[in-house]
Amino acid sequence: EDWDMPTPYGDSTFHTQNISQFAKDVSAATNGDLNITIHSAGSLFPHGEIKNAVRSRQVPLGEFFLSTLSNEDAAYGVDSQPFVATSYEDAAKLWSAQKPVITELLAEQGLMPLFSVPWPAQGLYTKNEITAVEQLNGLRFRAYNAALEEFAALAGAAPVQVEAPDIPQAFSTGQVDAMITSPSTGANSKAWDFVSNYNAIDAWVPKNIVVVNKRMFDGLSAETQQAVLDAAQAAETRGWEMSAEEATAKTAVMADNGMTISTPTDALKSGLQAIGATMLETWNAKASDAAKSIIATYNQ
Amino acid sequence: MRKFLDGLYHISGAIAGVLILAICVLISCQILLNGLGRMFGQILPTTIPSYADFSGYMLAASSFLALAHTLRSGGHIRVNLIMQTMSKNLQVLFETISLIISISLVGYATWFMAKLVQESIHYGDKSSGIIPIPLGIPQSVVLIGLIILLIALIDTFVELLRKREPILTSADEV
Amino acid sequence: MSDPIIALTLLGLLIGLLAMGVWVAVSLAIVGLVAITCFSNAPSGLVLATTFWGHSHSWSLTALPLFILMGEILLRSRLSQDMFSGLAPWLGGLPGRLLHVNILGCAIFAAVSGSSAATAATIGRMSVPELKERGYPEGLILGTLAGSATLGLLIPPSIILIVYGVATEQSIARLFVAGILPGILLISLFAGYVAIRAFLNPDLIPKDNIKFSLREKLRASRNLIPVALLIIGVIGSIYAGLASPTDAAALGVVLSILLAYLTGSFSKSLIWDAVMSATRTSCMIAFILVGAAFLSSAMGFTGLPRNLAAWIGDMNLSLYALLAALTVFFIILGCFLDGISVVVLTTSIIMPMVAQVGIDPLWFGIYLVVVVEMSQITPPVGFNLFVIQGLTGINILRIAKAAFPFFLLLLLGVALITAFPSIVTFLPNAMSG
Ligand code: NA
Ligand code: NA
Repeated sequence: EDWDMPTPYGDSTFHTQNISQFAKDVSAATNGDLNITIHSAGSLFPHGEIKNAVRSRQVPLGEFFLSTLSNEDAAYGVDSQPFVATSYEDAAKLWSAQKPVITELLAEQGLMPLFSVPWPAQGLYTKNEITAVEQLNGLRFRAYNAALEEFAALAGAAPVQVEAPDIPQAFSTGQVDAMITSPSTGANSKAWDFVSNYNAIDAWVPKNIVVVNKRMFDGLSAETQQAVLDAAQAAETRGWEMSAEEATAKTAVMADNGMTISTPTDALKSGLQAIGATMLETWNAKASDAAKSIIATYNQ
Repeated sequence: MRKFLDGLYHISGAIAGVLILAICVLISCQILLNGLGRMFGQILPTTIPSYADFSGYMLAASSFLALAHTLRSGGHIRVNLIMQTMSKNLQVLFETISLIISISLVGYATWFMAKLVQESIHYGDKSSGIIPIPLGIPQSVVLIGLIILLIALIDTFVELLRKREPILTSADEV
Repeated sequence: MSDPIIALTLLGLLIGLLAMGVWVAVSLAIVGLVAITCFSNAPSGLVLATTFWGHSHSWSLTALPLFILMGEILLRSRLSQDMFSGLAPWLGGLPGRLLHVNILGCAIFAAVSGSSAATAATIGRMSVPELKERGYPEGLILGTLAGSATLGLLIPPSIILIVYGVATEQSIARLFVAGILPGILLISLFAGYVAIRAFLNPDLIPKDNIKFSLREKLRASRNLIPVALLIIGVIGSIYAGLASPTDAAALGVVLSILLAYLTGSFSKSLIWDAVMSATRTSCMIAFILVGAAFLSSAMGFTGLPRNLAAWIGDMNLSLYALLAALTVFFIILGCFLDGISVVVLTTSIIMPMVAQVGIDPLWFGIYLVVVVEMSQITPPVGFNLFVIQGLTGINILRIAKAAFPFFLLLLLGVALITAFPSIVTFLPNAMSG
């Protein structure tokens, strides 16, 4: 059988390299009974349509950024909640609390998660060095979702909506002064061309997820199903390692290109955590019981 | 009937035009807020939440609602080089075939767009931006646009069979 | 069937449908439907609906109707006339005269807009009627417009460079900077071609016997002030950080309405006529875009483009042979797919080949854009041809014929950046210091 697998990301992204290896593993384990073709860079569907395309069996499986679903249920976006889980260790713990909940949610749409791999932890990019939250006051801060808008407001910054491709220009023209994103995005967009400071505040560790259509998965033979699950397990383990390597490598790239790399001062850390705590309260007010149970499990 | 159909194409086209103007107004307000924010700091809110999403959905709605109006005013382009050199009977024949092909395709697209909207409403799909917009709303407008286009194509087809001459001439050369 | 045979069959079907007079958007979708139904196991109807929806609401697309609207307002007010009468005295001595307005107008507008369709629509709306009225030859009017409007893709901002940069993890800022010198190179090639044609055949360009004194020239230039303000306002808002390139389109509309009001040509019916005309043009383009998006998605499912690209990869060509083969491949693919599809469908296979022979991915991005620019003016699927047919009613094959010399000039541009890669790499290297 031949399966098509769309992903929004390009071939050089470590996520795409990871799913390519996943496809190879599946093909090898099933002696070519199941071949997965990766369609990278959004060549089959735009990012926003991939989940629904899997749901309606246009493709059997696909990859997307998990917290894009957070408007459907807050449980999907818990990994993008600032200062809840900030290390890979915590992120793994959060994922094991989150997985059963979103497995149930996705099952309502006929979907089944295969594996989830994080992006490197999100850091703060600014023109000047930031040592305390108060210094964010009055800065124009890039916000692309409700959580970041709230974050900006709490830090006293002005939220500005800038689409990803416009970032370099937005910085060089002063449309934005600060943003939070991963070192991958920073290094790939050559952030040193337009911003000089990177602070590894490790705000959150967001994830991509690979989901399969349950009915199409059930249509596979038992051995093939097992081969897919085994390859998925391996891909998850490998992906988390790749992500950690990526974080180190891309931070080094930024340092090599003359960016000032720093870790948060205690003052900055406590200020950010206070904002995180306030945001978690707001989040709790709108979250479903299932979503709240993730945090409860995580905090145990 | 004729009046009703022409009115339908005209009104959906006019709504499409209003949507383009609305996109323009929305984005202009955002630029204004950007300017005020740069000059006076944060007195006013700095962003219109999800304005990019709203603009995109209004664009989709406008594009699809204008389909029938554009069709009837000869705005959809085609390569009519060979057609012009043929006898009138042959022209009518080819026009008939291309209308049948178009009706089939648009009918097919309308059917599956209806399924997409139905699924989207059933699962309560929402946009991923700052304001959660139920996707069923803009998708329904897209569906309505396709339905009006389908009506316009069938209308044109019936007219063609009755008059036995091509109905939709292309826009004049300038 | 083998892949080349399938590709030829589908191309034949597309040409057949278009020749029968089926609308372009419908023809593209039908070919996509046949491809996906016969050569893949994906459910065609659902994919059709998903791509129609998914590609109709993108943010970067919203600039298109706004720029078209701006062109419509300028056309209906006196502003476009004024621009030509203001420029005429200055270009009197240059062989080709006002044809250069087409080229430079597109180049300036390309610095505002990221798409070649918007560039063709906005500049063409003003320049085609003006130049025709003044008796310029149709072939050169259409050719300069179709050819120069492709600069919208190369001169920053550029939608296609963003797509390439995201797909290959290249810095978009650097790609933008890298596009500047090749953009100037192409402008010079186009302007040079027009000047040589006019010089060799003086009867080609209408006579303009009035001699202007400097004072008269300057007085005529006052007519240029409104349009200059418009351009400065739009470009300025981007570089002052008040507007993203997409936002700037809305500012263009507002400023053109304001200028129409100030120059006394404003009326409500004028604005509404402009809105409805822009709505129809943008609807026509959007319909073709979603049809093309479905064809592109169908091609992704069938795997044809990647198989064909892999077939080139298997030949293990040397650097120049590979570039020659890829150029031919992209030109053929560009005949029936739009530029962005060509990039996303083939980068997976092409980029490793390119890396293997040691080509700089930054340089390759610019090369790719120039090749994609050619696809904008090759029939049967060329967006600039569609836009210009929409504006003028002139058949795309006649427009394509007029644009052919500019296709060859773009090819010459490719040869030049291949022979002198520093045309591309000089500015981005200088930027990193
Ligand atoms: Na441009
Ligand atoms: Na073409």
